[in-house]
Order: sequence, then C-alpha cells, then structure tokens
Amino acid sequence: MSLNDAPAIGRPSRWVLPAALVLVLLSFVAAVFLGIVDIPAHDVLSALTGSGSPEARSIILDIRLPRIVTGILAGVQFALAGLLLQTITRNPLADPSLMGVSQGATLTVTVFLLFTVYRANPDSYSVNELPIAWLPPAGMIGGMIAGGIIYLLAFRLDLSPLRITLCGIAIGAVLHAIAIGLIAGWGSARIEIILEWLSGSLYARTWDHALFLLPFTIVGLAMLPLIYRPLILLRFDAAVARSFGLSYKKQFSFVLLVSCALAASAVGAVGPVVFVGLIVPHLARFLAGRHFPLVLPLTIVLGAVIVTLGDLIGRLAGGPEEVPIGVVTALMGVPVLLVLLRKVP
Amino acid sequence: MPLACSQLSVHYGRRSALANFSLSMEKGEIRALIGPNGSGKSTALQALAGLITPSKGRADIEGVAVASMSRRNIAKRLAFLPQQPTAPDEMTIAQLVRQGRFPHVGLFRSYDRKDEEAIEWALESTGLTAFADRTLQELSGGERQRAWISAALAQEAGILLLDEPTSFLDIGYQVEVLDLVHRLSRERGVTILMAIHDINQAIAVSDRISLLEKGELRFDGEPKALAASGLIEKTFRVRGRFVEVAPDKPPHFDVELTKLHRSGS
Repeated sequence: MSLNDAPAIGRPSRWVLPAALVLVLLSFVAAVFLGIVDIPAHDVLSALTGSGSPEARSIILDIRLPRIVTGILAGVQFALAGLLLQTITRNPLADPSLMGVSQGATLTVTVFLLFTVYRANPDSYSVNELPIAWLPPAGMIGGMIAGGIIYLLAFRLDLSPLRITLCGIAIGAVLHAIAIGLIAGWGSARIEIILEWLSGSLYARTWDHALFLLPFTIVGLAMLPLIYRPLILLRFDAAVARSFGLSYKKQFSFVLLVSCALAASAVGAVGPVVFVGLIVPHLARFLAGRHFPLVLPLTIVLGAVIVTLGDLIGRLAGGPEEVPIGVVTALMGVPVLLVLLRKVP
Repeated sequence: MPLACSQLSVHYGRRSALANFSLSMEKGEIRALIGPNGSGKSTALQALAGLITPSKGRADIEGVAVASMSRRNIAKRLAFLPQQPTAPDEMTIAQLVRQGRFPHVGLFRSYDRKDEEAIEWALESTGLTAFADRTLQELSGGERQRAWISAALAQEAGILLLDEPTSFLDIGYQVEVLDLVHRLSRERGVTILMAIHDINQAIAVSDRISLLEKGELRFDGEPKALAASGLIEKTFRVRGRFVEVAPDKPPHFDVELTKLHRSGS
C-alpha cells in the first residue's frame, strides 16, 4: 500500500459517524410509521402527541414504541458485548454465546418454565397462565451463571483467550444439550413460548422489557470511559499489555463482566439474538478502517440500527405471522459476514 | 542500584528454568545476557520484569521488591520488550507508541505536552517519524521491531530490558539498534539489560556480560575477562578463538564452522 492511499482511507472518518447517527433516526422513524396495521402518517403523529383514535394510540404507544425501544437497547447491548469479547479474546468469531451466556439463559428459561407451569396450573395448555414476565430475569441469571462458570474454569488456567474459548465451547455445549433434552421431553404450549424466545424475538415486548434493559444499557455505556484505554491494551498479548503497565487479569475480568452483563440481560429480554454481537463489530471495524477510536461509537450506533431495521423487515415480511428478529439478522448477517471476512487473511 | 536480583529461581512445573540467578546493575550500564537456546535468558528477563513469579529469590528496582509493585509503577521505571511481540495488524505505529505512555497517563488523564514530546522523541530515535501513520501490517520485519522499541522508549523508563532486539533485523538495522542502545545508556543514563545471540555484538556494546547455561550463571564480568576465560567455546560447544582487532577495542570471536564433536576431539 503506498502512502498515497492514506488520505483516501482517512476521509471516511468525518462522515461515517454522522451518517450512522442519521441512519438511527431514519430507521427509528420508519419503524414507528410502518407496520402490518396500516396507520396513516397523520394518525401516527397525533397518537404520538397524545390525541388521535384510541386504537392508533394503543398500537403506536403500547405495541410499536416499546418493542422499538427494547430492540434498540438490546441491539446496543449485544453489539457492545460482542465488540468487548472479540477485542479481549482476540477472536474475531467471538459472540456472547462464547461465554455460554445464551446457552445458560436458554437452560434457566427452560427449567423456569418447567417448574412454574406445574406449580401454577397442571393444565399446561393454558398459555395465559404462563409467567412470561419473569423470563428476562430468569434468562439473565442463567446467562451470568454460565459466564461465571466459564470464567472460573479459565481463570485457573491464566485466562488465556484460547482457554476461554475452549471452556466456553465445552460448557456451552453441555448447557445447550441439557436444555434441548428438557424441551424434547415436553409437549404443550410451553414449546411455543420457548421456541419463540429461542429464535430471538421482539414480539409482544412491552415497556416492562425496555425498563428492565435500560439500567444495564446505561451502566454499560457509563463503564466505557473506564475501560477505553485498557481495551486498547487488551488487544496485545498478556506479556506486552502487562509490560505497558496494565493489570491484565483485573482489567480483562472487568471487561468480561461488563460484556457478560450486557449480553445476559439482553438475551433475557429478547432471546439469543447473538448474531448481532458477531456481525456489528465487524461492520464497525470495516467502516472505521484504521481509525480505531471510531469502532466503539460505530458499534453502539449500528447495533441500534441493525436490530431496528431487522425487526421492521421481520414485521413487514411475515404478515400477521411475523418473522422473528433473530431469524432476520441471521439471514441478512451471514452474507455480510462472509463479505467482511474476506478481508481477514 | 537501579536493578538487582539475588538467588532468583524459576520453575515451569517441575522443570527448573532458572536457578539462583544473581545480578546487580549500575545506573547507565549496558549488560548483555548470553547463553545457548533454552539457557534461561528470556526467563531471567521476565522474572526481573515481574511477569513471572519466581519460586525463590527476589528482584529489586531501586531497592524495592518488584513483587510488591503495581504493574503501572513497574512500567514507569522499567520497560520490557519481549521476543517477537504481536499487535493487531490494523494498529498504526503512532497508536502503538502511544500505548507506551499508559503507565504515565493511566485510565483517565489526558495526554499533555510532556507525553506528546516523549512520543515524538521515541519515534525520532527509531527513525519512524515519517511512518507514524502506517499500520503494522504494512511494515517490514525490521520496521516493526523498531516500532516496538519505540513504544518501549516512550515509557521513558530508567531501565530497559530487551529480549533479542536484533533478531530478524538485517545487519544495518542491527547496528542501528545497538547504536541506539549505546546512546540511551551514555546520553540518558538508561540502564540496559538485553538478551542477545551475537557474541561479538555483545562483547562490542556491553559493559558487562552475564553468561547463562542450563538456567545457571556461568560468568559475570567484563567482556575481556570472558574472552580470556574460554567459557564461550565450552558453553556453546564450538571451536574458535579471540582475535584482537585493535589494541583499544574488545577482541573479536572468530568461530570455526565445524562442531567440536564432529571434528573428533
């Protein structure tokens, strides 16, 4: 590469972040105004200002807005969690499932449904009785426990990125197998709930989900100034990072904790849409080029965009039987990932 | 004393990598650490830098035990450049060298003029100012090695530990690195300990030499005394002789390109 290329590569830095921010706004507006129920634009506007027909108000304020906000928060969390994990494990294919977060959440959600259903109502065909509201915290706790187990196993082996990856794959596979085994043993409506949750969905997400996620998003973003410099140093080998003065184990563990908390709470709320955590950081790195400081803000912004647009597409494409966001991101994300990974030697 | 250690022993599992290693360095001294492959040179450097915990003995920086210091405090006083370090390919030289200031700026403090000056000086000393915005991927092996040395220099530490800093460099850059080492020691009073394979370079540049074999210290003294001791031939299992190049210069080791055991002696 000649020196002449440098300015050309330097140029995108100025417009790429503002452009991404505009994209957030556009996708948000599109997601509010478009839907399977056709509401004229002026009705949407009047619903937003508190007037308009009760029906339009209910659709916009109680159905569309909460699911969009939940999606944005979850998208930001998945993307950020993925970036942190990919950075510190120096593994470009890392996503939150590497730390067993989604598998652990799946298992606890499964177990939770198994027991609560029998306690609440022996007739497991009555969906209304199922304690769906408790799924987010149940999933989050499971995700954090799985992450903790993998961390402890890898900690005994000096927390090397390879150890984390191997422990993560092993523990994740075991948890996943147990959960699938439990599900296979059932019949009934629980399967519908677990399948919908497993595919990663924003269907029927309420303000409760958004409020559940909000503290995690805020705390996660507030930690960024604290971990920004360590994050750069954690891209080196442990020996190099420590020589530069970093308390490697302490900082590595802290970033890992932030990443797991972000991912586990998001998985609890919307199911394992972990593909966002894999794709978005790659997209951000691709757009940022050598401007590493741009990668972090771009990851956050693009996380929001991808989930909002993915959900919108799923809502519009499927008709009344909408396509879950997890399916949309996976289908759209794979080609994107393949193109981006062509750059990786 | 800037850097010292006594009775330093390191075990990897059951295998002893370093046994009762002792060293004490004066301010501004250049010390070469030589020895065959696997003799414990890298282990000694890492133990001195506090990167591995010794099973016995202690290392001190200015009289304070390394084991008791935080990583940041160590990094302010001692810069360590490992053998063949790796960095993300898309990182630029400037970004790499900036990381050398981490011990000074910590998590929050912004880079002030003194930090920027240190970075500029580090780039300049290694001849990299013009390449600062290139990514490490675009560099040759020699340039990459200099970028790492530059990052270590940016730490502005009084002690510099280098693990084979001239490996993979062509002879021109080897001389440049050794010249830089000499200038740092004489002009800035930096205390330098480096593991190095080339015996003649070690003899030419260093004030004292430590010779390791199988994790044990075989010799500690001035280059001329090492030349006279006959230990080089024995330790490295080669045949050769020391030749005087000039009366005021250290002797040159001229190796015969036949192994002792092959020639039947």
